[in-house]
Amino acid sequence: MTDAPLLEVTDLSTHFFTRAGVVKAVDGVSFSLRRGEVMGLVGESGSGKSVTGFSIIGLIDPPGRVAAGSVKLEGREITGLPQEELRALRGKTVSMVFQDPLMTLNPVLTIGEQIRLALEAHQRVSAAEARRRAIEGLAQVRIPSPQATVDLYPHQLSGGMRQRVAIAIALLHRPKLIICDEPTTALDVSIQAEILAEMKELVAELGTALIWISHDLATVASIAQHVAVMRLGEIVEAGPMLDVLTRPQHPYTRALLDALPSRAEPGTYLLRGGGVPDAAPPPRLPAAEAEPAGDEAAPYFVLDGVSKRFEARTGALRAMAERLGLAKPPVSVLAVDSVSLTVRRGEALGLVGESGSGKSTLGRMAAGIYAPSAGTVRLSGRPVMSAGETPRKLTTRVQTIFQDPFASLDPRMRIGDSISEGPRAHGLVGKAEAEAYVRDWLGAVGLDPAFAGRYPHQFSGGQRQRVAIARALAMQPDLVICDEPVASLDVSIQAQILNLLMRLRSELGLTLIFISHDLSVVRHLCERVAVMYRGRIVEEGPAAEVYDRPQHDYTKRLLAAVPVLPAAAATGG
Amino acid sequence: MRRWWRAGRNELSSRNLRVPFDRLAVTRGRGCEDHPGNVQLMLTHVIERILQALVVMLVMSALVFVGVYAIGNPIDVLIGPDVSQDIRLETIARYGLDRPLWEQYFTFLGRVLHGDFGRSFVFGMPVLELILSRLPATLELTVAAVVGAALIGIPTGIYAGYRPDSALAKTIMAISILGFSVPTFWIGLVLIMTFAVELQILPAGGRGDTAALFGIEWSFLTANGLSHMLLPAANLAFFKLALMTRLARAGTREVMLSDTVKFARAAGLSEWTVLRRHVLRLISIPLVTVFGLEFASTLAFAVVTETIFSWPGIGKLIIDSIQSLDRPVMVAYLMLVAFVFIMINFVVDLTYFALDPRLRKGRA
Repeated sequence: MTDAPLLEVTDLSTHFFTRAGVVKAVDGVSFSLRRGEVMGLVGESGSGKSVTGFSIIGLIDPPGRVAAGSVKLEGREITGLPQEELRALRGKTVSMVFQDPLMTLNPVLTIGEQIRLALEAHQRVSAAEARRRAIEGLAQVRIPSPQATVDLYPHQLSGGMRQRVAIAIALLHRPKLIICDEPTTALDVSIQAEILAEMKELVAELGTALIWISHDLATVASIAQHVAVMRLGEIVEAGPMLDVLTRPQHPYTRALLDALPSRAEPGTYLLRGGGVPDAAPPPRLPAAEAEPAGDEAAPYFVLDGVSKRFEARTGALRAMAERLGLAKPPVSVLAVDSVSLTVRRGEALGLVGESGSGKSTLGRMAAGIYAPSAGTVRLSGRPVMSAGETPRKLTTRVQTIFQDPFASLDPRMRIGDSISEGPRAHGLVGKAEAEAYVRDWLGAVGLDPAFAGRYPHQFSGGQRQRVAIARALAMQPDLVICDEPVASLDVSIQAQILNLLMRLRSELGLTLIFISHDLSVVRHLCERVAVMYRGRIVEEGPAAEVYDRPQHDYTKRLLAAVPVLPAAAATGG
Repeated sequence: MRRWWRAGRNELSSRNLRVPFDRLAVTRGRGCEDHPGNVQLMLTHVIERILQALVVMLVMSALVFVGVYAIGNPIDVLIGPDVSQDIRLETIARYGLDRPLWEQYFTFLGRVLHGDFGRSFVFGMPVLELILSRLPATLELTVAAVVGAALIGIPTGIYAGYRPDSALAKTIMAISILGFSVPTFWIGLVLIMTFAVELQILPAGGRGDTAALFGIEWSFLTANGLSHMLLPAANLAFFKLALMTRLARAGTREVMLSDTVKFARAAGLSEWTVLRRHVLRLISIPLVTVFGLEFASTLAFAVVTETIFSWPGIGKLIIDSIQSLDRPVMVAYLMLVAFVFIMINFVVDLTYFALDPRLRKGRA
């Protein structure tokens, strides 16, 4: 009896009936799950893994609907159930946790109120009882001082705490199944490790089954017993976790694994399934060499004791009120605390740290976007930016690639024009060659060259990111400062971008400052690593040394928190 | 307006002043008992706003005084063209109109500080008294119109946002476009034509019977007064109704697609609870802004409706005063309008504080 599957999904098809045609987001997916079992559902964006999760819980918004197939929960067919009966199941038998708790929790209700609403959805509770249950639930997910937390609002909690609150809400009614959709993707690696460990314990303790949806094979490997790999709405491979990840049968699974920098020798080109060679970037243009060399003997790029303090700006009246003692002075935050770094020409320096460590602020100072509060930035021995100066573009030889490029692309400009604007203004290419030049760069970042005529809003987030990368590289810079340039990309595209950066380095001697929270990407790309923690650099050195023999406690903790894939037994190349 | 609530979130997350994990327990505990901090923040805010208000009022008084000084010559209105030059000069001197502008302004300012806005040239009574006697009529009309628009507009807007593809929602949106585009005076005339002339069920104008409350006469206290209020209030409400409906709809549509709603549904909350507890709370912030602005502007500029329905409010008073160049009334009225706007914005700000906890206190 107990061996009967808790969840049985057979030939599930969820289609979206849009004006442009039918999108088969999920197309004939079958799997089953026993009580207390953890299944990982892996795939790249658009593979239909999230839609599968929503289909199980009956939360597909029009124009989508479950077109065919069955979902049986404890032997009971739940597709086609009336909304009210589905609602009675949601939260009680099956519940769900989402990616970004900042978006899922209501910002204007206290944690206690939100938990009470979830309780009231399935039972009558008095206010006192609801509060007691809320505190109990928060304690269960290891929230320190739950009595205080119930009265707080989501914005007063850190990301990890918010996600714990979401998990507490999902666990309230002791559901038999929890569907987690990228639950740790928005979190720092150490918080992710904590949540993963806690989830594992909770699942074992309560006997809850789990569907863990993620794009990240390593996190899935550390929690799931079974793995299903999805691609274009279908499951291409499924089985016990170790089998799938160490002896993948399907070429797509192999390609996914091969594209991971953590499984490749650092500095080597990543394999990208199918053996299609990457498009070559356009050759170095003669006009790009015109930069005055400066002092050749001086270190190439130096951050000399830079600090950045952020202060809330206040008006004149506020300042008056402060002087009269009626208002507290605004809090200031020392985001970067006298950091010195030297980058040699042609070197790739990785800057790692958690969110809030100051790594992005440091990158912005290096790029001239923020003026430092103290210290100097020097390029080839010349000071280019010192404390108190107005932020400005240092030189076109230094380019930046940031994580969210939507704001930086002119929405009314075709992306081809966005890319060629800089090179043309600086005489790198003439009007005649501009089009071919843009097409070459689009090809080099893995986009269809025909996209040049499109506008930014016609692209997905990952595609826009690649447009921004092409635009920065088309300036033929000597130094590129990248802040999480591949964080929003699928692994196969990430591999292509990493290959492109490595190629530009070896062929053109590109210097790179690469800021990332992803330790494996940094390890793969950079020879030298600096670890930032609370505004300071706590450790710096050759990548191999820092990764293999970390000296500082924080570095040790950070490295220990990274989920690891099981060793590739027979990946077959 | 489109990304209002998400924008707030992004701002917070990008600030990213995250407290390290190990220190969380301590800071959290303090953070929640820190009500004195809240009170102090409020107090600072109130003081700041009062200082700002004083500056605005001062600037406003100067602008109004100069502006009104520039139009027409009140002497031509005050005395007939056939009086002797002596009387003319004497009148000018009596009203202080022979002094330089700045002197007149400071005399005016000094009187205002004593609560004296002067006497109306036309009515011969203190301006303040005159305006205050007319204010209740406009106030009750405005409250009826704005509150009525909110009570009807917000629920219909939420419905239209919740079921955007239903026939009813499409009808609501079509009507709301009419509310935006058809001029107020025309709707007023149609209302009179229909209900007063053709059907003869409602009066065409005037305030009707009034009853006293706190020594002030109000129409809404008598059945006859209420029947007189109905048409002008409906006329004033029409545009606001359309505005609230559209705003509520846009907000609801966006919130319904958000992860907050998905998460609430995944936890088994009923649709009704989702709408009432999540959606309404999240869309209320822009609605309060519009409510406040509409309230203030209706109070100040209900001129057209008051004229069509011969409603004896301040809108009608100001039109009459402009026609007769009754300077003291114009100046006092414009000052009052500035004051009303400042006060209402202040109340809106306080409401933000109540509605959005993110504004109250940042993280530790």
